[in-house]
Amino acid sequence: MVFDGIILGLIVGMIRGGLKQGLHAFGQLKLKGGWIFPVLLLIQLVIFAVQDQSSFVASISNYMFMGIYIVGMIFLWLNRDQHGFGLILTGVFLNFLVMAVNGGRMPVSLQAASVLDPYYVDMLSQGTVITKHYLLDESTRLPFLGDIIPLSPPYPRSQAISIGDIVMNVGIFVYIVQLMSGDKKKAEKNKPLETGSSA
Amino acid sequence: MSFLKRERTLKISASQWYFIIISLFGIIVFGFVNKAEFLNYTLQEWTWLYALTGATLILDHFAFQLPPKGNGQSMDSSVYLACMFIYGPAFALSVCLLTLIISSVYYKKPFWKDLANFNIYVLMISGASIVFTATGGTIGTLENEKILSYLAALTTYFFINVLVIGFFYVILMRSTLYEALKSFFKDIILVYLSTLILSLALTILISSNGVFGLTLFIALSTMLSYSFKQLFTMYNDIQEKATRDQRTGLFNHSYFESLLDEEIVKASQNDTPLSLVMIDIDDFKKYNDQFGHLKGDMLLGFLGHFLHEECEPAEVVASRFGGEEFTILMPGYDEGAASEFVNRLRKKLNDTYYEGVEIFPSGCLSFSAGIASHRVDIHDKAQLVDFADQAMYYAKKQGKNNVHIYGSSSAKEHEIDFAEDVRDIEQQLKLFLYKDVDTFKHSKRVFRYAMDMSTVLKLDSVDRRHFILGALIHDIGKLEIPWGILNKKGKLTAEEWETVKNHVVWGKRIAETNEKLKELVPFIELHHERYDGGGYPHGYSGKQIPRLCRMLTIIDSFDAMTTERPYQKTKTYEEGIAELRRCSGTQFDPELTELFIGYMEQRMLEQQQPAAGMESS
Repeated sequence: MVFDGIILGLIVGMIRGGLKQGLHAFGQLKLKGGWIFPVLLLIQLVIFAVQDQSSFVASISNYMFMGIYIVGMIFLWLNRDQHGFGLILTGVFLNFLVMAVNGGRMPVSLQAASVLDPYYVDMLSQGTVITKHYLLDESTRLPFLGDIIPLSPPYPRSQAISIGDIVMNVGIFVYIVQLMSGDKKKAEKNKPLETGSSA
Repeated sequence: MSFLKRERTLKISASQWYFIIISLFGIIVFGFVNKAEFLNYTLQEWTWLYALTGATLILDHFAFQLPPKGNGQSMDSSVYLACMFIYGPAFALSVCLLTLIISSVYYKKPFWKDLANFNIYVLMISGASIVFTATGGTIGTLENEKILSYLAALTTYFFINVLVIGFFYVILMRSTLYEALKSFFKDIILVYLSTLILSLALTILISSNGVFGLTLFIALSTMLSYSFKQLFTMYNDIQEKATRDQRTGLFNHSYFESLLDEEIVKASQNDTPLSLVMIDIDDFKKYNDQFGHLKGDMLLGFLGHFLHEECEPAEVVASRFGGEEFTILMPGYDEGAASEFVNRLRKKLNDTYYEGVEIFPSGCLSFSAGIASHRVDIHDKAQLVDFADQAMYYAKKQGKNNVHIYGSSSAKEHEIDFAEDVRDIEQQLKLFLYKDVDTFKHSKRVFRYAMDMSTVLKLDSVDRRHFILGALIHDIGKLEIPWGILNKKGKLTAEEWETVKNHVVWGKRIAETNEKLKELVPFIELHHERYDGGGYPHGYSGKQIPRLCRMLTIIDSFDAMTTERPYQKTKTYEEGIAELRRCSGTQFDPELTELFIGYMEQRMLEQQQPAAGMESS
């Protein structure tokens, strides 16, 4: 789901700002603590790779994911003056919140998951495999923040997503579109007054 | 200033009261209809809540501006209505609440605005739903046979909206409800109708195709909203172009005229003060001549910007009247407050540096301003403009960089007018410089005598003005006397004498061609009449001749006697006085003659012993 906002943002950004301008904007991209993001991604990949072999890693993986979320949110907070980052932060926080109150895992509703591959639904309902998700039930807290929204055709991808995912993606979309087409507007705003100088 | 401020805060608090009442009412209705139902929603209901909230947020984002100014219109009403038709009012209110929470966090608008908006929606949705169920409508999919219930609900929704907003404008703008509704209906009815009809379309789409139907609807209405927005932007652009002056960015002359019309009507109806300020840049021509028109235009642009920056916060309207003239229309300001404002403006401009101001006589940018305030008896805008223009003229005459209130210091105004008239008449008398220098000098001397005598006679300002100007112009008819006769050294023949005598009639005719000089005709015509009736042209006697004309005859004769004339021996002042005495009662009014002699003797005494007065004091 993370990629949907990026792809959509790139398309709209390209239309509004143009390819050259957009790529130029990416070249000038400056974020505070920009190194944090790739490091977090790397850690996540390592956990995925290792958790099958190491039971220790598997047992603490939930907490590690929570930690990654917190560091990620700090990174977003540092850059909150960027367009769309407030929304991204809100989305991530909503996801974090529902996971935090449900033992570090994201609840998925059976109904929403029914749009997915039945194999995956089986996996979820048996709860055998350790993943970031688990099936939503009576005991789930804040169920309305879980993965309860089914995406199905004509949407190109079948998925169950949370409201946090949507808010986050809107934020990503806004950020990318702004990045690719925003400079032009800013330049217009700063254009000096036509009327004479009063130096 | 302070008066307006007070009024403004009063206005805001009135509208705030209104919103507080609406909000309280709305919150109660919300509690009653919604009953915090959202706490028990199923997950599927939550999904729908998200989807519909998303829809309203998107439509809110694409809201467009509608006249009256600042009135945003978004098509989110169709979502609320469809929601109400399918899921019932409680669910629609939940969507409303979630929208309120999100938009107040995201858009960081003042919270009370969002809250008021929310409560208006609550009232509209609840009202529409009550009418819907009362007329037999059922919640769920759209039923064709119950179309009347749907229409009744839509109508109710519309009317609650119009009334709530309409009353707000009544309070805010102090217009009548009818006026507010009229502009409302005229401007938004079509957009509103399409929103209402779209709500039925959305109801069908959601019931048959769920989220996909909603998505289609959002795509469609977003584009519609966007086109409406474009349309109104275009409309505003064109309107802007038609009302703005390109050079200065201020309103242009024609917009000013129509605005003035409106404000005068408003001021007359509500009996509120209204002031008009006319501003003219001092010595702008000099700047233009020195630096060229391009630079001059830039200076105009700069001034336009300056006036705009200063006037907007004060809620007064600056326009370019034409050339280097500007107007400021100040509703709510009496002339005192207006003068205070304009003087502050003037000082600020004096202190503002602009390239090239060194060439101005004052070394800084300055303007002269005239203020005219609206009175009950003014119905014609041209009159108010005239007054302001007149006042500006007085301001200029007082040495520029000045603010003058029309009619405020009438003595000063009279003085300026008087000086102007004297200058005008002198201009005409200049012809004598070539034709007959003596007459020119004589007129000037008589003018000075008249000034002194008007003090002696304690004349009021109108008489004084007439007398002095009359004295200055009395011989204007001599322009018609042939050069040869006028400058003849020897004695005149009887025929030539008749020609000379005609100058009083010719003078009268000259004066009659000019509206301003008409009052002075008696002085020109009758200054050769004698007290005993032996003068010309009419042979009037005694009281038949106006008193001041009799006075003028004395002055005129005295000056003629005591100065060199081609056909007369010059007398000294003493001889002149003796001659006056001799003719007192025959040629001259005896009483006035004594007054003049008294004055002359006093004057001669002062001239002979210039130090005497000082010693005795």
